[in-house]
Amino acid sequence: MAKKTYDLLFKLLLIGDSGVGKTCVLFRFSDDAFNTTFISTIGIDFKIKTVELQGKKIKLQIWDTAGQERFHTITTSYYRGAMGIMLVYDITNAKSFENISKWLRNIDEHANEDVERMLLGNKCDMEDKRVVPKAKGEQIAREHGIRFFETSAKANINIEKAFLTLAEDILRKTPVKEPNSENVDISSGGGVTGWKSKCCS
Amino acid sequence: CFYCGAVFEETCIFYGLFYVLVMEFGEESSPALAFEKDAFELTVEDVYDISYVIGRDLLKISSTGEEVSDLQFRIVRVLEMFETLVNKYNLSLEELKMERDNLKSELDRIITESSSRQGTQTAGPNQLVVDLTDPNRPRFTMQELKEVLQERNQLKAQLMVAQEELQLYKSGILPHAEPAMVEVDLDSPAATDSPATVNDAKEEKTTIGKLFSFRRK
Repeated sequence: MAKKTYDLLFKLLLIGDSGVGKTCVLFRFSDDAFNTTFISTIGIDFKIKTVELQGKKIKLQIWDTAGQERFHTITTSYYRGAMGIMLVYDITNAKSFENISKWLRNIDEHANEDVERMLLGNKCDMEDKRVVPKAKGEQIAREHGIRFFETSAKANINIEKAFLTLAEDILRKTPVKEPNSENVDISSGGGVTGWKSKCCS
Repeated sequence: CFYCGAVFEETCIFYGLFYVLVMEFGEESSPALAFEKDAFELTVEDVYDISYVIGRDLLKISSTGEEVSDLQFRIVRVLEMFETLVNKYNLSLEELKMERDNLKSELDRIITESSSRQGTQTAGPNQLVVDLTDPNRPRFTMQELKEVLQERNQLKAQLMVAQEELQLYKSGILPHAEPAMVEVDLDSPAATDSPATVNDAKEEKTTIGKLFSFRRK
């Protein structure tokens, strides 16, 4: 094994309706690029990005889920291991906003109890097609006590800020301890060592 | 009446019919043939033929001076009832035939529709009929997809680890032997001839380190 290149490993998860831009949000963050062609995610995919926060190298393993209902059983099995979940909707798609409560219920049912949640209203560059006012996003986030950002993967608005904020929130409640030497763990369930020990002690 | 002897037009058994009958059968046709027919094949025209023949016979009797006026009225009444019954029977028969034809065509329509539907329609609630000739038909189970995705992600993770390791190696060791990438010593296996220095000892433990160790000769 080569020398460790990070101090902490955080597992994040992106969820939300099909077509809201989860993959694009992730692609912008990991590769700083944007692709207009829509390719529906099959089941589950992931990307890795290492960031530095408070002098610590944090490896973010970000799981990108398919929004389509038919992949539901595959995607929900990945909720358990997530330390942070980004719930994405599309500000030009009212239905994707209405479904937020459904996605929040999924989190309650399948994720760890102390998972860090965040709401993103994506495609905020398309002001002329907006159907969900920013205030409505802020309101629902407030009701559930979670952070909210309006983002644009295309125009690169708030993408990095959202991921770094979520990582900071997780870091804040992570006990200071030496990271174990495990590398990228791609298993679906099982949770995270060190993370789980904190919430279950 | 010249034929039946009725005094009033209303009582004549040919009232309203006579001219039609004469025109239809002419001289040579024989109204008496209606008597030979099967009862269920009688038409209302046959009833008029029968009436004509009976009327003619009544005329013969009355011409001999017999008093047949009451009988004459009763016969007319019976013939009228006969006419109504035959008329009604034929109309009902026609209606039933039409009804039968309608039901037949409706049945044919339903049969062809249901047989053409069978390929694409759902077989029942929550069931889907799959067209085996469709190259894009669903073939794999959710479990199979889950396993394939897990393997894909596992390999992706391994590739990332390998890339990271390579990056470490490049940044840490390569500066001393930059153009050495193509130098491969085919005579001796890479693992056997590595006089590793103390500094490199740690790196040699990785597979990639071993594979590339020949470059430092």
